Amino acid sequence: MGEPHAVQPDQKVIEDLMAFGAHDFKKCFQCATCSAVCTLSNNDFAFPRKQMIAAQWGLKDKLMGDPGPWLCFYCGECSKNCPRKANPGETMMALRRYLTSAYDWTGLSRLMYSSAFWEIGILALVSAIVVALFTLPQSFGFGLLSRSGAAPLHTVMLDKFAPVGMVDMGDRIMALVLSFFLLTNAARMFYYLTRDQKIPARLYITQLPSLILHAATQKRWNGCKDSEATKNWIRHLLLVTGYVTMFTLVVVFLPWFQVNDSSIHWTSFLGYYATTVLVGATVWMLIDRIRQHGEMYQFSHLSDWLFPILLFLTAVTGIGMHLLRVNDLPMATYVMYTVHMAIAVPMLVVEVPFGKWAHLLYRPLAIYVAAVRDKAAQCSSLEVAPAGPVPA
Amino acid sequence: MGRKLGVYTCSGCSIGDAIDVERLVSIAEEEYRPAICKAHPFLCGEDGLSVIKTDLAEGRVDSVVIAGCSPRVKTDAFTFDPQIVTERVNLREHVAWSHEPRTEDTQMLAEDYLRMGIVKAQKMEPLEPVSDGISKTILVVGGGVTGISAALEAADADYDVVLVEKEPQLGGSLATVKKYFPTHPPYTDLEETGLPEKIAKVTSHPKVKVYTSTRIVKTEGQPGMFDVTLQNGGDPFVHRAGAIVMATGWKPYDASKLPHLGYGCSPNVVTNDQFEALIGSGPLVRPSDGKPAESVLFIQCAGSRDNNHLPYCSSVCCMATLKQSDFIHQTSPETKVYIVYRDIITPGQYERYFAKVQNHPATFLMKGDVAAVRAQDGRQIQVDVKGTLLGEDITVPADIVVLATGLVPNAADNDAIRDLRDAQAKVQRNESETQRTEAEKIVNRLQPHEGTAILNLNYRQGPDLPILRDGFPNSNFVCFPYETLRTGIYAAGAVRAPMDSAQAEEDALGAAMKAIQSVEMATAGKAVHPRAGDLSYPSFLLQRCTQCKRCTVECPFGSIDEDEKGTPKFNPYRCRRCGVCMGACPERIISFKNYSVDIIASMIKAIEVPDEEEEKLRVLLFMCENDAYPALDVAGMNHVHYDASVRVIPLRCLGSTNIVWIADALSRGIDGVMLMGCKYGEDYQCHFAKGSEIAHRRLENVKETLQRLQLEPERVEVSQVSIDEFEKVPEMINTFMDRIRELGPNPYKGF
Repeated sequence: MGEPHAVQPDQKVIEDLMAFGAHDFKKCFQCATCSAVCTLSNNDFAFPRKQMIAAQWGLKDKLMGDPGPWLCFYCGECSKNCPRKANPGETMMALRRYLTSAYDWTGLSRLMYSSAFWEIGILALVSAIVVALFTLPQSFGFGLLSRSGAAPLHTVMLDKFAPVGMVDMGDRIMALVLSFFLLTNAARMFYYLTRDQKIPARLYITQLPSLILHAATQKRWNGCKDSEATKNWIRHLLLVTGYVTMFTLVVVFLPWFQVNDSSIHWTSFLGYYATTVLVGATVWMLIDRIRQHGEMYQFSHLSDWLFPILLFLTAVTGIGMHLLRVNDLPMATYVMYTVHMAIAVPMLVVEVPFGKWAHLLYRPLAIYVAAVRDKAAQCSSLEVAPAGPVPA
Repeated sequence: MGRKLGVYTCSGCSIGDAIDVERLVSIAEEEYRPAICKAHPFLCGEDGLSVIKTDLAEGRVDSVVIAGCSPRVKTDAFTFDPQIVTERVNLREHVAWSHEPRTEDTQMLAEDYLRMGIVKAQKMEPLEPVSDGISKTILVVGGGVTGISAALEAADADYDVVLVEKEPQLGGSLATVKKYFPTHPPYTDLEETGLPEKIAKVTSHPKVKVYTSTRIVKTEGQPGMFDVTLQNGGDPFVHRAGAIVMATGWKPYDASKLPHLGYGCSPNVVTNDQFEALIGSGPLVRPSDGKPAESVLFIQCAGSRDNNHLPYCSSVCCMATLKQSDFIHQTSPETKVYIVYRDIITPGQYERYFAKVQNHPATFLMKGDVAAVRAQDGRQIQVDVKGTLLGEDITVPADIVVLATGLVPNAADNDAIRDLRDAQAKVQRNESETQRTEAEKIVNRLQPHEGTAILNLNYRQGPDLPILRDGFPNSNFVCFPYETLRTGIYAAGAVRAPMDSAQAEEDALGAAMKAIQSVEMATAGKAVHPRAGDLSYPSFLLQRCTQCKRCTVECPFGSIDEDEKGTPKFNPYRCRRCGVCMGACPERIISFKNYSVDIIASMIKAIEVPDEEEEKLRVLLFMCENDAYPALDVAGMNHVHYDASVRVIPLRCLGSTNIVWIADALSRGIDGVMLMGCKYGEDYQCHFAKGSEIAHRRLENVKETLQRLQLEPERVEVSQVSIDEFEKVPEMINTFMDRIRELGPNPYKGF
């Protein structure tokens, strides 16, 4: 505790949160019913009560240094039991949106979360660039129309339309670009999460397994006590496997994955798996969201819709192109290829570092840092306790 | 005597199964020779009642004893003309239902109860109500929202009303308020106070006479005939009124006592009622320099719920703060509003308004304790808050700090003023050096109370209403709202208990109804609450009075004044018929026609005390009629058994216990005496406020007397019982009986 420190509430934070989908959090009167029902909460961690009051006061530094919102998988028990209808669950969701925007140094994220115009505009812009790369004269890009002579129309020869070497290079550049933004944003997050506590360096190594474990399995989701938790966790896990399979195929194994002619290759079978779980899971999620099934889907921000829709469209156009190709329909294949790229690229470039997809790194990172911080706090109290004077 | 007594015993409701009714009737016949003595299997039925009514109508009897169920039930059936002395003997709840049937002890119990009832009926006299010269005018003191509402309520019920206000205009505290917090669905929007319309209505009402700039010089008399002397500039004039509604409202707590919250250190630290003047017209500015205020910090419970200041919650400050926040949001949407609270108290539907104001982006609430308000001239004020819900101590900067101070009733402390006057008189008399210096000390201590009286009653017990707690005049906040300790004077609004104007309007209605009831009861010569409808009243045999003044002092309602010599001057309409004076009087000169020292003593004498050889103990149990006796009735209804050696005598109030009864009982060989009264102390439940406490005090003295008589003081016990403790009462009786058995029989048996 120590000396009282000055607080200066930032009304901008509050307005942002309201714009990002939290409409009722100011109503919270701190009864802590939410903390009583939340499995994450314990004596030292009144979650989400403390996040609620920090949000109400717009305490930006406090919020940015808090891994709490990322530990929550939105079972919604808090919102269900809130006597004030202050919706702590949705507030944590809005906080995650807010934090994504706050950790992003470019400001793009904030722009997109606050305005549908910008969100769709930026996605459309990237889309247009991709389309242009395929359609403008050769000197500027791959050039479908200008090279129509080069890409034969009597049979599928994808390499002629989109040479795999160039696309592969493009993929890697894209991966680099999005990783750069994502990692720099995550570094900022890491800085805010760790700056207020002295943490022995070794803990970062000893706790590293938790980062990998949670990134790979999201198993904490299963720790929520609502009846849907296991279902939601497994569904999400399937989606992740599909996504990782597809991403790896595209970024690492493109020369094998992008098949030139109408033949079926071994990579196709991996593609079938990925497509099946991606389409299946996104459709299921979208149906739940439309039906507002469960607390998690009570409120939907534009970003919540775009995420599964884009993923669904990517998978559908991918499989569509595959089917067109194996049926040897060249023009249709080339067009579908362009459409697929025009959806997948902006999704990855925009959503991963600046949008909802950033959670793929933020969540495990927060869980990891939380584990490190807990451990550090434990260790420091262990060191002090035996030596400390007995209170009179 | 010449009394023609009819004794009617009912054998219904299993009374006949438990006792030998034939034998009971024959005992009554043999021992008392009443004019009529009958048993009936169903006395409260048409046939049973017609037996009694025929005997009465044909003049065979003029007094009746009904031995059957508890006097607390079937009151409709067994109430006859007040001229007919009626006594009920409780053979059902206290005998048949609570003791072993057909045993010797149960039979003896029933026989004793019947003897006691017959003796009492023989001694009681018919009642003649007093009633003349009653005025039905209602005087309302205070022209705020409560007073105006009370005046309108009474006037609309066709009673003449006199409304007295000390200020030049009506409106009171509510007139200083710009808008009022929502009192109607959806409880989210500020409302007009509606005060101008109310003022217009009351000033033009044909039944209301309004006096502004007027004070009460003197209030003489008693309910039904208060002569109230008023003065507004010119010569005093007198109004007669039947009842008074005290609606003097509240004043804000004196913030100069709150320097620790920064009051007085900066013009930017203000109270909530000062802040009311700063809001509502244009953007909010700092009082110090007129620059726009970027932030305002409200400190809730400023001097409230604090034993060094006001120990209570004023219940309106939270809503006032929310309202003022709402105003700020409307006129200066950029201004941050901080509210530091311990608990936000927004009762009932007000919660909706709380949620609405809280939901504004610029409202910042923080639970915590204010540790310091650092206000230096020319600098922004810094408020340190400890123990916040953030889990840390914080400092909040604010341009303006508002102290949400509580409500203090506009009431006088009657007892302090009386003590002051008595001390002043002692100083004047100057009888001895020590007495004078002692009195001077009291005068100095109580000097601040000089001139604070509002009603200026000419009562011996002081010029205003006694206060119950925290400066509020009342008799019991929970059980008897509006009742004060002065009959016919009813407190309403914020002077009674902290409340907002919506509650005050409702309160006004309640108090107005009480006042109307009071004048109507006085017109019929009847007592008001809690013995509503009672026609009896005490009379004083003044030839034997020794001017000891105990009755004057102990009467909880100030009914008794004194002449110069100290002889009591009784005011029957002020009286609530509790009999505390009767218990107080060492000369035993105060009696009711149906309740006196002699009547109860005769009942005690009527108890047959078995010889020592019989090894049967007898214990007398005096029970307060209001709580203890009904509790024992309920025990009977639940068929809970207890020792059949007790003989219960109901008392109007334990405070009416005259010590001589205990002496009588013990000298007759009764082995022990129990007294059960209501809870007393801070949260007392005594229906006569002080009666139970007074009884306890008197009993302390008795115990010393017992020791002198070589009797164990444990033979007399006084205890507190509330009406819901019916399971406890039989246990208490049995425990006491066990103790008496241990002590052995009263050695005075047979003397």
